[in-house]
Amino acid sequence: MTKSRDARDDHDPGRRRFLKGVGIAGAGAAIADHLWTEAEAEEKEATPETLSGSVKVTLDVNGQKRDAQVEPRTTLLNTLRNHLEPAVTGPKLVCDVGTCGACTVLLDGKPVYSCLVLAVDATNKKITTVEGLGTPEKPNAVQAAFVEHDALMCGFCTPGFVTTISAYLKKNPNPSLAEVKEACKGNFCRCGTYPRVFEAALAAAKGSNA
Amino acid sequence: MQQQPQAQPTPKPKKKIRVPKVVNGVEQMVEVEVDEDAGPGWGPNDKHTLLNHRYTRVDGPLKATGVARYTYDQRLPGMLYARVLRCPHAHARVTKLDTDAALKIPGVKAIIPAPLTEVRFAGAPIAAVAATTPEIAGDALRAIKVTYEVLPHVVHAHHAIRPEAPKVVAEENNLQEKGKNGDPQKADAAFSTADAVVEGEYITARVHHTCLETHGMVVDYRGGDTATIYASTQGTFTIHEDAAKELGLTTSAVTTTVEHMGGGFGSKFGLGLEGMLACRLSKQTKTPVKLMLTRYDEFVMAGNRSGSWQKLKAGVKNDGKIVALQARQYRLGGLGGGSQAGQPYIYSMGDTYREVYALHTNEDSSIAMRAPGHPQASFAVESLVDELAWKIKMDPVEFRIKNLRDEVYHRQLRRGAQEIGWSKRNPVAGGNAGPLKRGMGCAVGTWGGGGNNQCKVDVTISRDGSVLVAVGTQDLGTGTRTYTRAIVAEELGLTVKDVQERIGNSKLGNANPSGGSTTAPSLSPSVKDAAIKARMLMAERVAPLLGNPKPEEVVFAGGKVSAKGQSLSWQQAVAALPAGGITSHGEWRADLQARGIHGVCFAEVEVDVETGHVKPIKMVHIQDGGLPLNRLTMESQINGGMIQSLGMALWEGRVMDEHLGMQLNPGFGDYKLPGCLEMPELVPIIDDDDKREAVIGIAEGCIIPAVGALVNAVFNATGVRVRETPVTPDKILMGLMNPNLLSRG
Repeated sequence: MTKSRDARDDHDPGRRRFLKGVGIAGAGAAIADHLWTEAEAEEKEATPETLSGSVKVTLDVNGQKRDAQVEPRTTLLNTLRNHLEPAVTGPKLVCDVGTCGACTVLLDGKPVYSCLVLAVDATNKKITTVEGLGTPEKPNAVQAAFVEHDALMCGFCTPGFVTTISAYLKKNPNPSLAEVKEACKGNFCRCGTYPRVFEAALAAAKGSNA
Repeated sequence: MQQQPQAQPTPKPKKKIRVPKVVNGVEQMVEVEVDEDAGPGWGPNDKHTLLNHRYTRVDGPLKATGVARYTYDQRLPGMLYARVLRCPHAHARVTKLDTDAALKIPGVKAIIPAPLTEVRFAGAPIAAVAATTPEIAGDALRAIKVTYEVLPHVVHAHHAIRPEAPKVVAEENNLQEKGKNGDPQKADAAFSTADAVVEGEYITARVHHTCLETHGMVVDYRGGDTATIYASTQGTFTIHEDAAKELGLTTSAVTTTVEHMGGGFGSKFGLGLEGMLACRLSKQTKTPVKLMLTRYDEFVMAGNRSGSWQKLKAGVKNDGKIVALQARQYRLGGLGGGSQAGQPYIYSMGDTYREVYALHTNEDSSIAMRAPGHPQASFAVESLVDELAWKIKMDPVEFRIKNLRDEVYHRQLRRGAQEIGWSKRNPVAGGNAGPLKRGMGCAVGTWGGGGNNQCKVDVTISRDGSVLVAVGTQDLGTGTRTYTRAIVAEELGLTVKDVQERIGNSKLGNANPSGGSTTAPSLSPSVKDAAIKARMLMAERVAPLLGNPKPEEVVFAGGKVSAKGQSLSWQQAVAALPAGGITSHGEWRADLQARGIHGVCFAEVEVDVETGHVKPIKMVHIQDGGLPLNRLTMESQINGGMIQSLGMALWEGRVMDEHLGMQLNPGFGDYKLPGCLEMPELVPIIDDDDKREAVIGIAEGCIIPAVGALVNAVFNATGVRVRETPVTPDKILMGLMNPNLLSRG
């Protein structure tokens, strides 16, 4: 049985988290949560596929089909940055082990750390990077609020925060400060922009509700 | 031919002043000559139209949409990816480096040895690999076989100080005397007049810069006569000379660019070992090479703040006057000398005596980190001051006012007390009921923040009305780009959008490296000077259209150029310019900047005395800094200072394994950075009572006092005086179980 994509998007975080948390270890759990439904996991187990050498992947990035030739071990992050032509460098490589959130992208609308996803596992999913959310000329509400509230300094964590918050506000258009903090607790900033990131998120929520 | 005597212009009167210059992130004082009367000033701080207002960053939209291109984002045709092999031993000699198997891996293009044969810290580079993908470069690292002769090491300061400890550097003792200050006998005698004495040992762990963009560069050399270096650096002009030597090119054949950079905090100056390796790989392969450190690399050798071990003893009279201080500081800089400001730091402590030592361990050298040496000194002295106040039962705010000469601190302390709600504070340490105990603390800080005469700025106004300001400086995320534009825009009566800037390129006008809060006070006077000159040049050109006023009578405001009751739109005015437009050149002016800042921090925390968990509730930082160039970005910097201090106070610290000699927490999973969930309410306050019409750098100032304020708040909450950062739950619980345990003195 294969679950439909819509079913996967159901708001049933408690149940899904419980099911998916089982058997998936450590830092990857939160991410894997978004990636693997139990049905998919069973499917994979039933028909294991071994990839080696160099494989062609076709990724749906910001609404465009993009081809790349990568080793199967290549992460989605490194594929976007190092193998697509032209490169997609909005998502940043900061820790490469799923601890900082700077590489966050949306897979079918859900935020994941793209350093913990293999490119070969991201085919047939809609990948949205920070570039796909808006442009300098036409920013989305979160991007505009980040600029307005000075929610960035060096800006290296910014794509991750913007992506995470943009996805969260779709799920919860009217969050409290505590909910915003909870939503982006998987993202680190070193310059110290947090208070203004929170302000920007709340302002973006307010703006898009108005 | 006989020379005709020519009328010489009268030379402008000059004066000599001393200014800070930053070398590798550390300030040194040098003498420079400046004009005595250099031209118009900034004017009163409350009379600006753009500066001292809030305006958004010009690169904000690029950064928020992922368009901003950082060094890490550069990808050139055919570019190779480099990685560095690191030594797992704290002290070892490389006896054999076998790269045969690694070189056979398809995609591996070059392997070069690092210049060291004897390494003195775990994580030192042994070799570097260039390959077609970073994944293959990683394979090559695993395939290199290194044979080491492992030598004895010592990584903990209290072991390194023992006479029998292994020597960190063969020729030297681990303990190096660096200086003495004051009269030991006099200080000794002064203790006899004291009513109470506090003695303690204060320790700060080494903390890491953890710039989110790691150190590194892309060296674009393809075998020709020129090269371009894309660098994540705090100094556009600190790289091309050394890079040219490595590449065998002339200095002017190498261009450095730094368009956007992902944080530095004092750690990114010069070519660095990684840059040298990248140059060598690029030279050997005649191919562009990108060498960005991994996060592990970044922890083990890309920088840390010097640790400190401070033995302090102070005496106080019952009236609250501190009369004596004896201090011994060990600077814990690993292989380096470390850094620390001198005690008694800002306070007047009567007769003082200080001994300074460097204590070496087998760790990478500490390097400059935002306010080098100051948070360490401030933490210890502010803890000591708090202990003295507690001992004679005096309010810590009043006690500080009594022992601080500079009245700026008095007003800042009173304001801070009001902002945090000091009157609600329980004066009895640990006196609040229940397991969740609240407490408040405070501390003060200082910094120089003056500039120097290194920045050369050009402003060009074109006949199409566009305005360009160009200088090679770099924007670390501090808002340099934005205020550079704003200064020109304000001078010409335009908006920020009407001006473009070009920065971050070593072919543009020289600029100082960004360290020690010297960028704004070095750059903004040169920008202002160029802008004033551009305004005057343009005024001369448009004067005939406005009834021939004197150039200084022409008013540039609101996008109009006016004089004698007549007004031109900007477009009408620029039509009077020559085809090539006009370009002015700006130089530094000492009178447009100043030196010497004050800041205070107040913190409130809640400590769970059952678990030792500290929850920061609120922090207030009040900072003066002359003329705020941009209130929005200045407040962001103050927030950043508070948050980085919060990390140092409560969570961050390198942990070394004594036996392995390695760092145990070289990653974000184990090295705890401040995150979203820990954020308290933060209140950044610009001290507008500072009326100096001068630009002063504030970045360092706002990272200094918060550590002391937080630790003092923990004491007020719990009655436990933790004298070692980070103040983790284990230390608090230990103190609650046995209050004497943590009193190392």
